[in-house]
Amino acid sequence: MDLSEFEADNTVSCRLSSAIPDVCRTEDCCLGIDEAGRGPVLGPMVYGICFCPISKKDDLKGLKVADSKTLTEAERENLFHKLDEAKSFVGWALQVLSPNTISTSMLQRAKYNLNALSHDAAIGLVQYALDCGVQLKELFVDTVGPAEKYQEKLSQRFPGVVVTVRPKADSLFPIVSAASICAKVARDHAVKSWKFLEDLGDVDADYGSGYPNDPKTKSWLLKYLDPVFGYPQFVRFSWSTAQTLLDSKAVPVHW
Amino acid sequence: MTTKKKRSSTTQNDKWVVIAPDSVADTSKTDSNDPAFVRLRNPATGEASLYLFSSGDSELYEVKAFDEDYHSWFVGQTVQRDGRLLYITPMDPMYLVLPYLIKVGKEGKFQPVQQVVLDEDFPACTRLLSCSRTQASLHHVAEEKEVGSQRFHRYNQEKTMQWLQKKVDKTVKALKMRNISVGGGVKSTTYIRMKQESDVQEEDYLRYAHGLISEYISEDLSKELLNVLGLPEISSPKELEPPSKKRKLSDKPVEAGEDYTKFNSADFIRKPPKKMTAAQKSLAKVDKTGMKTMSSFFSPKVKTENN
Repeated sequence: MDLSEFEADNTVSCRLSSAIPDVCRTEDCCLGIDEAGRGPVLGPMVYGICFCPISKKDDLKGLKVADSKTLTEAERENLFHKLDEAKSFVGWALQVLSPNTISTSMLQRAKYNLNALSHDAAIGLVQYALDCGVQLKELFVDTVGPAEKYQEKLSQRFPGVVVTVRPKADSLFPIVSAASICAKVARDHAVKSWKFLEDLGDVDADYGSGYPNDPKTKSWLLKYLDPVFGYPQFVRFSWSTAQTLLDSKAVPVHW
Repeated sequence: MTTKKKRSSTTQNDKWVVIAPDSVADTSKTDSNDPAFVRLRNPATGEASLYLFSSGDSELYEVKAFDEDYHSWFVGQTVQRDGRLLYITPMDPMYLVLPYLIKVGKEGKFQPVQQVVLDEDFPACTRLLSCSRTQASLHHVAEEKEVGSQRFHRYNQEKTMQWLQKKVDKTVKALKMRNISVGGGVKSTTYIRMKQESDVQEEDYLRYAHGLISEYISEDLSKELLNVLGLPEISSPKELEPPSKKRKLSDKPVEAGEDYTKFNSADFIRKPPKKMTAAQKSLAKVDKTGMKTMSSFFSPKVKTENN
């Protein structure tokens, strides 16, 4: 996966996408949405969509895509390659929300919470597919918050599309699994090859999973806490893990 | 970010961020001393204020600080907690000399200024007499007598008022030139009106200028100047003060401003919900799914309260 566009400026939100398969412009299509990296205190959150003609749903099953969480990293890489090779009928697009975007959204004066941020990223991607001429008829989404509310929001936003919002959608619908694989692979790549804008010298890249409860992540956060600036932009400042550490270890800042 | 730790205001800063005219740093007169910050008696308050003498004490500058909460500086590779911005601006030393002249002038004698401008608390005040403008403008506020090579002065109120009046006129001119809003409704000088004010009268300018000058003279002089300018002390209180919206006198017993007990009474519940402000409305619209409610952190008590 080519993440160079995001790596060129990893402080903002970035969209990556495959070419749109021709059949998707002519045939009725289904589209799956999923995200990766919602919980970690480190690195970007990635939203992914995957779409294919409804008639090709079974071909997707043939690729044996499954919930990304049940797969090893190597298996995910492998599956992503298969998806990318199936470009005659499968398209994908990603929205990489940098940790900085998440921090500044959630901590700005008019608070923009993570759910709203997530929903808007998902809606933006679906709109992108529509703008590209994808004949979208069915939409499958793994839920963020209560399923009914989200389903209603999406149905209103995209009239004429049958919206299905389900918890665990990534294990129920192959198209959502595919989206989840794209998102997860992008997130893994972004985290692994994170280019620190800050001059930190040789950065200790052993930050673990990035989830707040990971001891490796915690000790990394402690190690890279600057009393004045806090953290590199790799860290989501809006996470309570980060804030608690800042409150106790960094110089107090009054806004 | 944090609220627990309080700022200690006692921390000393070893750096100032200053805006000053080039003339301050002019040390071309080789035989004279360097520019120096000094504490002198503020003519309006009588307290110590910071001033600056240029090299050779020929010019006086006042030091003013732009100081607001929640500001800090990044200076080079350091952070300065104190976000103050100091302005060093030229000042007429006569304002500082005047209180000494007035004080001694009450004796009614002609005296050499060197004997007048003396201050135990602020010994540097004698340097005011080295300023070129001091010598040149003593005659604006005092009568002069020359005996032999010595000059003697005696404070003169009338002259002083004429001098201050000229200061006000000059200030009015400056205010007009810079299009500074001086009308009654103006709350901030930095506020820029899209439309030119049409209802601004000469009196508004005079009053504003008088207010500015009053920051450099004693209260007594300020009142006297108001008379001389022909400005009634308070021309129309209704215009100057904001309309009183509340606090009407009543015979009812005085109630505490925040009486929490009354919210527990039954009739409070019957009241229709208050209208929300725009900010509250936008907050209410935010999707809060998946977030804990505030009350969930206090759960057992909340339930009993609702009953």
